[in-house]
Amino acid sequence: MNAHANRVLILTATLFAAVALHAAEPSGTEIMQAVYDRPQGKDVQGTLTMTLVDSKGKERVRSLRQVTGTFASGEKKLMVFLGPADVRGTSFMNWSYEEAGRSDDQWIYLPALKRVKRISSEGRGDSFMGSDFTYDDLGDRHPSEDEHRVTGSESIAGEDCWIVESVPRDPKDLYSRTVTWVSKKTMVGVKREYYDHRGALLKTLTISKLESISGVWVILKTEMRNVQKNTSTRIEFSEVKVNSGIPEDEFTERAMTRGL
Amino acid sequence: MMKSRVLWTLAAVFLAAANLAGQEGAAVNGYARTKAGALLEDASLFLSETTLDLRLSYRSGDAGFFANPVLYEREGQTEEPVLREAYMDFRGESFDLRLGKQQIIWGKGDGVFITDIVSPKDLSRFLVPDFEEIRGAVTGACLDLYLGSHALELVWLPAFTPGTAPAAGSLWAPALPFPVTPTFESVVSPGFSLDNGEYFARYSFLGESFDLALMGGWFWNDTPGYTVTDKTFVPGVGITALTVRPEYYRTAAAGYAASGAMGPVILKSEGAFYGLRRYQGNPMIYPDGYAEKYSLQYMAGADASAAGFTFGIQFIQDLILDHDPDLVDPELKTTMTFVATRTFLRDTLTAEVFTYMGLDPLNALVKPKVTWDATDALEFFLGAYLFLGDEGDFGRYDSNDGVYLGAKFSF
Repeated sequence: MNAHANRVLILTATLFAAVALHAAEPSGTEIMQAVYDRPQGKDVQGTLTMTLVDSKGKERVRSLRQVTGTFASGEKKLMVFLGPADVRGTSFMNWSYEEAGRSDDQWIYLPALKRVKRISSEGRGDSFMGSDFTYDDLGDRHPSEDEHRVTGSESIAGEDCWIVESVPRDPKDLYSRTVTWVSKKTMVGVKREYYDHRGALLKTLTISKLESISGVWVILKTEMRNVQKNTSTRIEFSEVKVNSGIPEDEFTERAMTRGL
Repeated sequence: MMKSRVLWTLAAVFLAAANLAGQEGAAVNGYARTKAGALLEDASLFLSETTLDLRLSYRSGDAGFFANPVLYEREGQTEEPVLREAYMDFRGESFDLRLGKQQIIWGKGDGVFITDIVSPKDLSRFLVPDFEEIRGAVTGACLDLYLGSHALELVWLPAFTPGTAPAAGSLWAPALPFPVTPTFESVVSPGFSLDNGEYFARYSFLGESFDLALMGGWFWNDTPGYTVTDKTFVPGVGITALTVRPEYYRTAAAGYAASGAMGPVILKSEGAFYGLRRYQGNPMIYPDGYAEKYSLQYMAGADASAAGFTFGIQFIQDLILDHDPDLVDPELKTTMTFVATRTFLRDTLTAEVFTYMGLDPLNALVKPKVTWDATDALEFFLGAYLFLGDEGDFGRYDSNDGVYLGAKFSF
């Protein structure tokens, strides 16, 4: 049974368990587990456009082609930068694993040096391409890394949501806590607040466009706003295809060097 | 005459680029860059260079073409256009075939070339330029065969392309390994013949936790050996006159390159055993002026990220086997490299320092550089190269410390 089928099974079991054991409301952990186990599609590909806005409103745009696939060994992702000109052709590949605590494998290809280089995956708290997102913000965070509790319910853009507060088990984590608004209909976190170690609000993530493609909820427009620095980053995902049958051997050194 | 030829070339390249740009599957990229450099010792300008680097590509289905013409103006003189690469390729289901002038880069090390034996190096300005500019191209055929994460690369080069050494009398001309300044005969290079082809092969694997490459080659050494053809010896004085003939010669190498993750650290290593190569020695001991010896080169290193910095360290040794004390080169040479990089201001400001350090004698080349992206297309840079020590591979250039600055527009 592959990882995708496993996740669907776990999601179903989790929701059934939630209904059976807690006829009223599921717990914070059950909600965040269901968010984590939400079907992601066997593979997803598209063009990602990232707009970085500084505190004076000046914009810089980065774009890349991204392909993600879920296989027995875990998730593999390949990103090839389309612009700006000085990074065009640069590619980045990440293999992540289901095993708890196992570090990702990552490689970068720089066309000027014509060489694929293995890089450390430990900088997960670093900014992704100078944006307001960290690598960790963009990845799937396992629910076991935090303690969760439901603090209430609220409607956002007409969507009923649970409000779940998550506190990292590791006190050295990047954030002291996050608060997520999870849609009761789609099990997607449609808004999230990130708090720094002084307890002050640091960043706010909002999702403004969500679409079901081939039965999978895909986030098409999202924005991360750093309220302390007054900067923001918008991400748009376009030309999206889900479950188009991308084989595992597409995630190789060859694909990195020749692009998508 | 030359200026006219350059202008015609420039016009032809731009016409080709403009024509390509309008076609589906075609792309025109590149950069324009200008930079100037001065020596710290006397503030003399030694570098004034403007570059136009064009990358023209066209792809139609499985077939494609790429060309990289480069135009330089140095010290006010427009130089001959350089065709850094020009090749066509065909992509099959499980193979790629590339024909023409191309760069083939091997190895896992940064700034070291132990298993990077296919493309020659341009060391006309020693190790001062960016590494991408040091690597040259070769003309031939390159076939890559793929099976999942495994790849086999086979390279055939019918024509030999030598490396580029610093010009005699330039800032970077190395000390010659002779007791007196010799008279040079014409260089003996391999003729353009199928018998003189070069052959390389590399198996590589990229996988969970580690990557591995095994390589080998039978090729012409990129730098010539010097054969003593005549010498004058005066008893009580020594050698007073010497005539040498630079000769390229065949050699072979086999080696490996590997890297793997160990927690937050990337460990990497590469090494190669080289076939007989010519090492210059005392002409009174060696009638031809050199001895042929086998040698080993190896590197072990680590990369890591912490607190926003990326760090790298490498330990490299060159060992001449069955060494004789009358050779100019030492039996064992140890070099280390250090690199640290940090970005600031949402990745618009990058600070980097790369250091080579020779351990015996202690000497170093330190290359700090700061780059500021003023816009997505335009960057400004400021850098330096500082030679420390009085002797050794780096210390011998102690009086060449310099600073440079410039701007680059990418399109």
